[in-house]
Amino acid sequence: MTRLSISGLAKRFDKVAVLKGFDLEIANGELISLLGPSGCGKTTTLRCIAGFEQPSSGRIEFDGADVVRLPAEKRDIGMVFQNYALFPHMTVAENLAFGLEMRKVAKPEIERRTAEVLKLVQLSDLGGRYPRQLSGGQQQRVALARALVIEPKLLLLDEPLANLDAKLREEMRFFIRSLQRRVGITTVYVTHDQAEAMVISDRIVVMFGGEIAQIGSAGDVYDRPASRQVASFIGLSNFIDGTVDGMDGEYCNVDTRLGRMRCRAGGAPAKGTAASILARPEVIVLSSTEPQDVNRARATVAERYFLGNMIDYRLDCGDGVVMQTQQPPHKVFEVGASVWFAIPAGQTWLLAR
Amino acid sequence: MAAGALTTFGPAVPGDAARARALRLLLIAPVVVLIVVFLVLPYLNIVVMSIRVPSTRAPYAPGFTPDNYLRALTDSLYLGALARSLAIGAATAFFCLVLGYPVAYHLARTNARFKGLLFAAVLSPLLVGVVIRSYGWIIILANNGIINQTLRGLGWIDSPVRLMYNEFGVMLALVHVFLPFMILPLTGAIQSIDPNLEAAARSLGAPRWRVFTRIVLPLSMPGIQSGTILVFVLAVSAYVTPMLLGGGNVQTMATLVVQQLVDAFLWPVGAALALILSLAGACSVAIYARLTARTMRRLGP
Repeated sequence: MTRLSISGLAKRFDKVAVLKGFDLEIANGELISLLGPSGCGKTTTLRCIAGFEQPSSGRIEFDGADVVRLPAEKRDIGMVFQNYALFPHMTVAENLAFGLEMRKVAKPEIERRTAEVLKLVQLSDLGGRYPRQLSGGQQQRVALARALVIEPKLLLLDEPLANLDAKLREEMRFFIRSLQRRVGITTVYVTHDQAEAMVISDRIVVMFGGEIAQIGSAGDVYDRPASRQVASFIGLSNFIDGTVDGMDGEYCNVDTRLGRMRCRAGGAPAKGTAASILARPEVIVLSSTEPQDVNRARATVAERYFLGNMIDYRLDCGDGVVMQTQQPPHKVFEVGASVWFAIPAGQTWLLAR
Repeated sequence: MAAGALTTFGPAVPGDAARARALRLLLIAPVVVLIVVFLVLPYLNIVVMSIRVPSTRAPYAPGFTPDNYLRALTDSLYLGALARSLAIGAATAFFCLVLGYPVAYHLARTNARFKGLLFAAVLSPLLVGVVIRSYGWIIILANNGIINQTLRGLGWIDSPVRLMYNEFGVMLALVHVFLPFMILPLTGAIQSIDPNLEAAARSLGAPRWRVFTRIVLPLSMPGIQSGTILVFVLAVSAYVTPMLLGGGNVQTMATLVVQQLVDAFLWPVGAALALILSLAGACSVAIYARLTARTMRRLGP
């Protein structure tokens, strides 16, 4: 069980700064995910923790001990790779035994622990198979088992589900999460898939351009994003630009092209500040009659898409403003229809522009 | 028309498959013809020649005899040359492997800008003809060659060190020229090993040398096998290099064959020796392939 703390972590390749020096504390038994677009530095961070990459500066501490100078093989980490990296010339059991052999564990003990972990990932019958004889999902579980059987200090996962088909990916999210909880191992999970990060993590670290944009729970990053960039990376967003008029309790009044709107704010921005209101498509309420809500406006249905569980509308609000909204499918609005929409103030969020 | 419509389904139609097969056969035909005309037929000719009666006035005398083989297989001169040929082949393959592996690994893993230059350097021994290359070595290795003159100039030696007209010189030159035949297949094999496998092994606690012995080495077995076989076969049958750098002191089967054919004008004897060398080489390769088969099987289809 390990506490991981990173401070001032920076990495340059030639002259390009890939990591710009950030701090991150990960508690014992916590699962955090590094979420960001490709090139944001999440994989480099993981490789620095694993010891495959030497940081240009900064400290990486396992339980207070700096490991930056320690080679990868001495860090005691379990790592799962995007392509699983199972040893193709070894059976499943031999793959699992490898790390234990390197630790000079006695043979009967190796067999006992291998069998135990195979049971944990529900692959007890497949110890004698070669990786090429397994399905993608099975290979993925072998990779997990191989990383866990050595009882490492840390579990690192690099886009572990990216090569699976959508259905299996969804199942494996829950599988990994419940496995991690049962084992109680401190875990760093790299992904570019926000839905995956939200399901699996205790906390999400959103990264852009080698820096941390926000650290928080799934609720934090979705409902209270730190910036417009975070908001647009995670989930779908409408941004309504305006100017702050002043605070009203914990709400903020903003003048927009759709009229004056009330909205939640993290701080107390000064009057006259340029800002954007974030309204997620699913919080907007469509109706054919005028709603009672403070934040309301008229619009014309411009486009409509049936998604199964939702109907996706593009609303033309006039003045060049287009809003996206997703409504439950039991009430259908026709394209071209004139509608009202309301944005409940409690579900909005004010962002700097 | 129904039948016409069906042909649009392409290769599924029997006529089309037959045409595709005919085209494939047509394309491999030139090579088959080459092999039959210039390899199989001459080999058959050699087989027949090897059981003819030798004569010094004509290529052969009338009649057939097993004597050529019996003599070759009982005479210690020939057996010694055969053993030397196989030993030189095996040793050349071994040294090429040991020296070539690090180069191949580097070539496979580097993404340096001068990678192309490195490949050119690896292939460079093949860019010079065998005779010129051998004379190059003679200039370097001879008693009054560059090395000996330098050592004498430095006052480190009084009489020249014998660097050629022995097995050492022959092997040195053979390793030099056959290195590319080892490095190229090895590079291909190592390139096809996912670098993440090495990272995974290290994360599991394997120090670098364990990563090499447990992961890289076994997975590069196909390259090791084809490289060593290529170099062995080439070295066993090498003639010019043992002749020039051995200077008559290194009798291999290949130099003996030429001696019998050209100097002694005993074509049937030469033919028998040549066939014995071919068979011995082929058997060695077969045994080697069997020994390495277990590792290869693990790598799967």
